[in-house]
Amino acid sequence: MKISLNWLKKYVEIPVSDEELIRLIGARLVEVEGVIDETHKYDGIKVVRVESAEKIEGTHLTLCMVNDGSAELTQVLCGAPNVREGMLAAWIAPGATVPASVKEDAPFVIGTRKMLGKYDSHGMLAAADELDFGDEHDGIAEIDSNMAKPGDALADVFGLNDLILEIENKSLTHRPDTFGLIGFAREVAGILGQKFNEPAAECSLKPDNAIDIKIEGDNICERYSAVVFEKHGEIKKKYLTLTDTLLAKSGMRPIDPIVDATNYLMLLTGQPLHAFDYDKFVAVGGSKNPKIIVRLAHAGEKMELLDGKEITMNESDIVITSNDVPVALAGAMGGASTMIDENTKNVILESATFSLYNLRKTQMAHGIFSEAITRFTKGQPPYQTLNVAEACASLLKDGFKISSVSDAYDYKAKANVVEITTDEINRLLGTDYSEKKVVNTLTNVGFEVETGKELKVTAPAWRTDIHIKEDIIEEVGRLNGYDNITPTLPRHNSATKNKMLTLKREIRDTMKEFGANEVLTYSFVSERLLENAGVKTSNSYKIVNSISPELQLVRQSIVPSLLDKAHMNQKIPFDEFALFEMNKVYRKDLGFNDEEVPTEKMSMGFVLAERKNQGTAYYKAKMYVEKFLKRFNLEAEFKPLKTDVAEALPFEKKRAAEIYVGENYLGVVGEFRTGVKHNFKLADYLAGFEIDLDVLLSLETPKKVNNSFEIKDKQDLTIATKKTYAETLKEVREKYPEAEITPVGIYQPEGAEEKNITFHLEFR
Amino acid sequence: MEELEKLKLELKSLNSEYARIKEVPAEKRGEFGRELNAKKNEILAKIKAKEEELLDTEVLPLDITAPCAPNEEIPKVYSVFEGSKHPLMTELDRVVEIYQLMGFDVMESRQLDDEFHMFDSLNFAKEHPARDGYDTFRTEEGLIPPAHTSTMQHRVLKAYKDKLENDGEIAVVVPGRVYRNEDVDATHEHTFYQCEGVYVSKTCTMGDMLGILREFFEKYYEQKLNIRTQPGYFPFTEPSLEFMIEKPKSLGGKKGDFLEMLGCGMIHPNVLKMAGIDPTKYHGFAWGGGIDRLVMLRYGLKDVRHFESGNLNFLKEF
Repeated sequence: MKISLNWLKKYVEIPVSDEELIRLIGARLVEVEGVIDETHKYDGIKVVRVESAEKIEGTHLTLCMVNDGSAELTQVLCGAPNVREGMLAAWIAPGATVPASVKEDAPFVIGTRKMLGKYDSHGMLAAADELDFGDEHDGIAEIDSNMAKPGDALADVFGLNDLILEIENKSLTHRPDTFGLIGFAREVAGILGQKFNEPAAECSLKPDNAIDIKIEGDNICERYSAVVFEKHGEIKKKYLTLTDTLLAKSGMRPIDPIVDATNYLMLLTGQPLHAFDYDKFVAVGGSKNPKIIVRLAHAGEKMELLDGKEITMNESDIVITSNDVPVALAGAMGGASTMIDENTKNVILESATFSLYNLRKTQMAHGIFSEAITRFTKGQPPYQTLNVAEACASLLKDGFKISSVSDAYDYKAKANVVEITTDEINRLLGTDYSEKKVVNTLTNVGFEVETGKELKVTAPAWRTDIHIKEDIIEEVGRLNGYDNITPTLPRHNSATKNKMLTLKREIRDTMKEFGANEVLTYSFVSERLLENAGVKTSNSYKIVNSISPELQLVRQSIVPSLLDKAHMNQKIPFDEFALFEMNKVYRKDLGFNDEEVPTEKMSMGFVLAERKNQGTAYYKAKMYVEKFLKRFNLEAEFKPLKTDVAEALPFEKKRAAEIYVGENYLGVVGEFRTGVKHNFKLADYLAGFEIDLDVLLSLETPKKVNNSFEIKDKQDLTIATKKTYAETLKEVREKYPEAEITPVGIYQPEGAEEKNITFHLEFR
Repeated sequence: MEELEKLKLELKSLNSEYARIKEVPAEKRGEFGRELNAKKNEILAKIKAKEEELLDTEVLPLDITAPCAPNEEIPKVYSVFEGSKHPLMTELDRVVEIYQLMGFDVMESRQLDDEFHMFDSLNFAKEHPARDGYDTFRTEEGLIPPAHTSTMQHRVLKAYKDKLENDGEIAVVVPGRVYRNEDVDATHEHTFYQCEGVYVSKTCTMGDMLGILREFFEKYYEQKLNIRTQPGYFPFTEPSLEFMIEKPKSLGGKKGDFLEMLGCGMIHPNVLKMAGIDPTKYHGFAWGGGIDRLVMLRYGLKDVRHFESGNLNFLKEF
């Protein structure tokens, strides 16, 4: 949303600098995303009177002498058909910039140039689009002589030396009232500590209900007012108006007098309006008198909108119908069949409120993000529909007069009343505001406060968001500035450490020490990635609105993601590296927990990859497992992979092992299947592990030292055997229970069946 | 081997089936083609699996209990100089450690949650437009990879309710990974990290909230800091604020430069009520802010996409 400071200043007196005002708005109302500085946009543009205008034969040009308030007339050539003697126009003097071009990379600076070989043309007479007030380019902009005189700076006439605030709408989601300038100004008065002067809100319209309005369905439309305007004269739009400039500054474009009036009032009050062509409306419905039915659309019902698109509606869309024939998608866009045009004689002006929930769905389903629907989806309150309709009539009074007023408003909103004490306010904020200050703060922005044992606070009609004490506390804290609250510290006890976090921190340090690199990869993976790793995709939770197929499935384990990153790093190229990640994983077969959300596991994945090593990668990965577990005073056993485990993971059954600590299954270490290596385009030397950190955490074992630190004896022992290493080690251990045993090497002569395993034994 | 041959023959005959498409009535051709394609893909997948299986039969088994292969050296782990820790994780640890010193317990956030924890328990009205602001992903089951660590607030309140009612207070931070369905560029990631904080007691005030947050950032940046706030809107806090700090000297900050650090506010009474805590007796505050940004500021990092890139050129800097 864009807010013009000059417009704002018409409703509230600002005793501080613009800079301070912007800071206060930021601190006490809403985030100001940016400020567009237009204080020099209209420099060098003056109001001039065309004193003479002579057509140049054989061209479309007119030779004009213009009066810019100085003693001498200036010669300007103008190509517009509407230039004529006596009119006031906007003249861009030589050296000034065309306002519509200021945002461009190379703004267009006007000069003096020779035209048709003989005429000097000084500056130019500008059309509305060149002044950045819309798309109008059929002629130059004409200025009302009641508003200006030759020599006036254009900026002064229309208040164009302005700062435009760009407001972040999100933080006003609950404040529909601030989506109108008046509501915004009220808040500004409040934060400046002033009582806001409410613009007169008396409404003289008395419903005669000449139009039959029926609202079918609960809670879809709280109030629907329809005012019929009858044409009695022409609104010939001749002059550039203040409204044009305000619409432009607010990011809208002038279109025609009726639409402009409705848009202007929406910007001012927050209440969107819609104009139907009365006669078309009646014709479409086929009834003698207009009959408005507001209802939910039938699924599949079709309608052509103003922009020429045909839409198919859903059952959650609200439609305005003429005797049950859809003529507008409520809150979003009018239909083509009842569109006003230059022949429109009579108008039905709709001023209504709709369910923000339905409109939110409409917005999403049809992709309509207009200024109007942005306001409706905040939940516009129903109190002002007739006031705004009357204001519209007054803007259009030259061409139209009101002929009937209908108002469907069954449910009259009750005022929200909250009872609260000053003490309750101070206790939550940590302040010591007096009752007087609290009362003033609230009454400045339209609340009524009855004092007594408690404050009885009545919210104004536009504050439909006020329900509980905290809402009042927010108003008091915010309007007086949260920054005026003194920071203090509450009591605190000592914290308990989180064991999983501590474990992960230790692993992180250990793995770095072992030369491995911690990575983070996405929790979502592609179907292809899982297939490449030989993991069943049906066991993954599937994202229905994923950004791309690359991010469609919730991962079941970490290793596949690491294989993918290993490929990328091998390509860079890194010749050797080890990647690891610790993160949460989810698998459908793990089911749901007591909270009825999927059971999760904290998993650690590890992959090492080398391009030039001809050796056996399995043993390096195993070494990592052993060394790493040793840090946690654990000794692992490596057991053959069970078939079902092997099938769920990318590991090669013959070259991988299940990791056990005692009876506890911790995970798998090993090389990967040939197909997996091929799929990920990885060099042969490749292995990894995946372990369950929740299990590891449960195995926490304190370190114990052997108190004899002196080595009394040591020896190397070589055994020739056909048995496995583990079996051999067991035998050595049984024989030398006192010894600390470490492997030295395994030698197997070519062709031999037996291998020689050498151990180093130390006795303490 | 025979089986593979058989599959290949099947594929061949299937390919010849395609020629028959001309005989099929025009309106049924689409369906015919689709069925044929499905069959073909099925056979291709079987062939691929079979081929992979055959490759694997050539793989030799090894002694999984040994420290090395025969005649190979016992492998060594890589040098410490090659190792690195992920900067986001280091930062998260650093943040959590400060909160721990300030008396906050830690509970890690979930990465797949439900509508109840993500929205309902946080006082988001059903189908309220405020839910749209979070651009959530959803699974087929309607589960949500959380878009904020506030998804844990309800659990924190419930888990510590007893402590609160035994004359204690709730003081917990929740670090975790969160997700938003948005396009990725230098400053936006669909996956990022946040840290949530929750404090509840009988007597705490908004002044306490501002004090705690200032204290945290002063410890984090090791200097005194000016703070600023801005009104915000979150359905689960009332009042809601955005919290800013004056840019620290270590980040090259000048007076008057403010950094938006997090969103915060006094916990909405409905959120307390839903967790079984009496909002007339207790009140609290909560906050949540991004971790990625802290890391980017600390190292002068310009592109958030590095974090989940897995690129060793980046990782080895840390």
